[in-house]
Amino acid sequence: MTTTPKTTPSARRVARYQTGTGRPPWQLSGSAVFIAVLFALPGGYVVWRAITGGSLSLLLEGRALRPLWRTIQLAVLVSVSTAILGTALAWLTVRTDLPLRRLWRVLAPLPLVYPSFIGAAAFHSGLTPGGIVHDLVGQFGFNLELRLHGLTGAWLVLTLFAYPYVYLPVAARLATLPSSLEENARLLGDRPFQVFRRVVLPQTTSSIAAGSLLVFLYTVSDFGAVHLMRFETLTQTIYRNRLFDQTRAFGMAFLLLALALLVVAAERTVARRSAQIEVTGDRSPLNVALGLWRIPAAASCSLIVGLALFAPALSLADWGLFGWLQQRRGLAALRLDWGDLASATWSTVWISSVTAVIAVAVMLPIAYLLARHRSRLGGVVNSVVIAGFAMPGLVVAISLIFWTLHASPFEFLIGSMPVLVFAYIVHFGAQAVRTAQVAVTSVPKRMDDAARLLGANRLRRLITVELPIMAPGLTAGAGLVMLSTMKELPATLLVAPMGFRTLTVEIWDTYEALYLAEMGILALVLVAISAVLTWYLVVRRANHLA
Amino acid sequence: MYLPKRRSNRLSALLITLALVGSSTACGSNNEQSLTIYSGRSEKLVGPIFESFSTATGITLNVKYGSSNDMALALATEKDKTPADIFLSRSPGPTGYLDDLGLLAELNDDVLKEVDSGTKPANGHWVGFAGRARVLVYNIDEVVKEDLPNSVFELAKPKYKDLVAIPGSNSSFQDWFTVFRLRNGDNTATDWLNSMVANGARFYPKNRAIVEAVSRGEVHFGLVNHYYNHQESEKNGDAQRSENHTFTSGDDGGLMIMATASILKSSDDKDLANRFLSFLLSDIQQRYLTDTVFEYPLAIGVAPADRLPQQPIDTVGAVDIDNMAAEFTRTMEIIEASGILDQ
Repeated sequence: MTTTPKTTPSARRVARYQTGTGRPPWQLSGSAVFIAVLFALPGGYVVWRAITGGSLSLLLEGRALRPLWRTIQLAVLVSVSTAILGTALAWLTVRTDLPLRRLWRVLAPLPLVYPSFIGAAAFHSGLTPGGIVHDLVGQFGFNLELRLHGLTGAWLVLTLFAYPYVYLPVAARLATLPSSLEENARLLGDRPFQVFRRVVLPQTTSSIAAGSLLVFLYTVSDFGAVHLMRFETLTQTIYRNRLFDQTRAFGMAFLLLALALLVVAAERTVARRSAQIEVTGDRSPLNVALGLWRIPAAASCSLIVGLALFAPALSLADWGLFGWLQQRRGLAALRLDWGDLASATWSTVWISSVTAVIAVAVMLPIAYLLARHRSRLGGVVNSVVIAGFAMPGLVVAISLIFWTLHASPFEFLIGSMPVLVFAYIVHFGAQAVRTAQVAVTSVPKRMDDAARLLGANRLRRLITVELPIMAPGLTAGAGLVMLSTMKELPATLLVAPMGFRTLTVEIWDTYEALYLAEMGILALVLVAISAVLTWYLVVRRANHLA
Repeated sequence: MYLPKRRSNRLSALLITLALVGSSTACGSNNEQSLTIYSGRSEKLVGPIFESFSTATGITLNVKYGSSNDMALALATEKDKTPADIFLSRSPGPTGYLDDLGLLAELNDDVLKEVDSGTKPANGHWVGFAGRARVLVYNIDEVVKEDLPNSVFELAKPKYKDLVAIPGSNSSFQDWFTVFRLRNGDNTATDWLNSMVANGARFYPKNRAIVEAVSRGEVHFGLVNHYYNHQESEKNGDAQRSENHTFTSGDDGGLMIMATASILKSSDDKDLANRFLSFLLSDIQQRYLTDTVFEYPLAIGVAPADRLPQQPIDTVGAVDIDNMAAEFTRTMEIIEASGILDQ
């Protein structure tokens, strides 16, 4: 395929860098600390406001602990269910003879394209009378009484839209796991389920943990789904009190931050304990014959992908199509300017591309520090960066407005693109950390050594040897950042330059004005573009995610 | 599975070009007169007003859209360094909050004289420019006219058990409840809300969701802003099975909530900003707001559109609120304690 060294993902693990080799050079530590300081800005603002505003005394009241407890309930439930769902789907699509496996591999990660707000709205109204699912079922004489709300509704919607965070790394890990271990276990008399539990599961623990961590943080920072499902979590309390009771809002943000840091630390402990077997050899993974289970397995996949991917799309199409048909019949013109749509699409694509590229570049030093050096600093930096993912977009935006105007020499940057890109990176950079780390690990040490012997300096080795090998992994990470950026709303509204309108801004605007048909069309455009990009950037490179 | 080197270079080159093109289109020239507006009303509603102002005067408007509370939060964070000249808010709450922080300027007399005394505060720091009435939306198939209440207090009676929806977390409802509380006292207001909850009042987060739920009979009544039903009827025609009911004139259930306009103290061209406010209160723009957006015009001498309930409705400004933040915090506490949000 190319001139780069022949390296399949598994072969690349032959002689990878061992963590703990030497102290990190000062340039690396220095840049990692610098990046961590930037990432700590929102959290720092929250801590400062919570302390100086007297929020801490609020935290002991029962009233403050209720939203915290609900947040923990929801986040744990969603993390556990996505861990099970994501792992099961990954195993089915990668390690079995499931029918239409290639199709499932493309479709399974795609629910990631829905902003939770739009997904939940589509879901919610599809099921209620007047909604497409409800009315379709009604055609067959059933009266659907299902009304999604509260913990159940939020849990279901978030599980369906967040499981790809587990599915992607686990599928990648399973695809690179050699068959020899499982074959040996089978030869020694283990039944397929025992093989899964004793061999496969321990080897994927760290991927599951990393994916579940992202799901947990995604859930605690989510606003859209819990808002529509009327479930009062911390982000809801922050949102409701953001103006008139900032003491409470920052107190809740402080709790959110503490929770996130705690969970990040816990995940590191789990990940460190699960020693992964170094993969040698280069054989294709074992395919388990499902036998009679093929049909139920395929049915479950259809159900999940149907619910998570097609049901919301159907609702959106329903709204959009209804409006379009009315226009065709001359009833009501669509209040949609195609020029605006095109420019919003363009703005969305370019700002998220720029964000993704810079985010990956920023994550590289951290990835090097984590992958090649065992140091306390690496752990701290990692926690700070990942905690950024747990901060609600609103909090990130307000804190950056504050820092830009009142505590930095960059006042002139207010309302400019750099601040917006910075906000996105602080918020979503965490999603590229792990892929960047995996990418760094995948560079065989002997190649770097060879280049060094030939007299190539650090920069030259990075450009000519390491980056080409890491490119696919880094691209997959960039894809994840890009997707989240495309879906972001609150920070975009507050920080973006005036007149800069992305698709989510247009969608919000039409939603506020009750233009459902227009909203359906805009949302479909966003979802379609995201789907193509997910496939192009993430799914095709899925093996580089773990 | 990975990109050949040459292709990936081209990809990043493309991305960098995108970045450059994007940022160059983002910066506009800035030599003519311009105003910056933070708008808590959405572009679909007020955008046409901005456009006609720019066309008529040649003045460029830079507008940041968002929810009123977010815009006020941004302004409170930016303080005197804000680029904003004008703040348009859905309701007086966020505006009053900024006024309490001392961030708003007094408006010119020719702007203030456009509206009645009930539509502006004594210090002249803001004006109402459009009104939304709180009404009771009801299902026309399930409810006979005789069963419609005269007062919002009747909704706590057993007759309405499990049939009424309240948008407890919605900012319009909170505006209304704050005034309701200040007019009737904390005890009466708290008792009313608690008895509503005891009477099985249902919680929905948004006015719109309530109008939809009432139309399909999920609940029979809902406390909402008047214009959602007009918009839904416009869209759905006869399929919309709900209508607005206004409480008896003077009843606490039927207050008017004003959208407000104010000018920031830090604005460096307040006369220009006042000029925009005059434009907003001009007959043509007020007619647009009532005929197209179905809101109540607030400039003196402009009549509401025919389809709106015609009886006079008290405005929120009729109650003087000294400390917005404290009052809204109290409102929030009572609403939270009532348990309506926990459904």
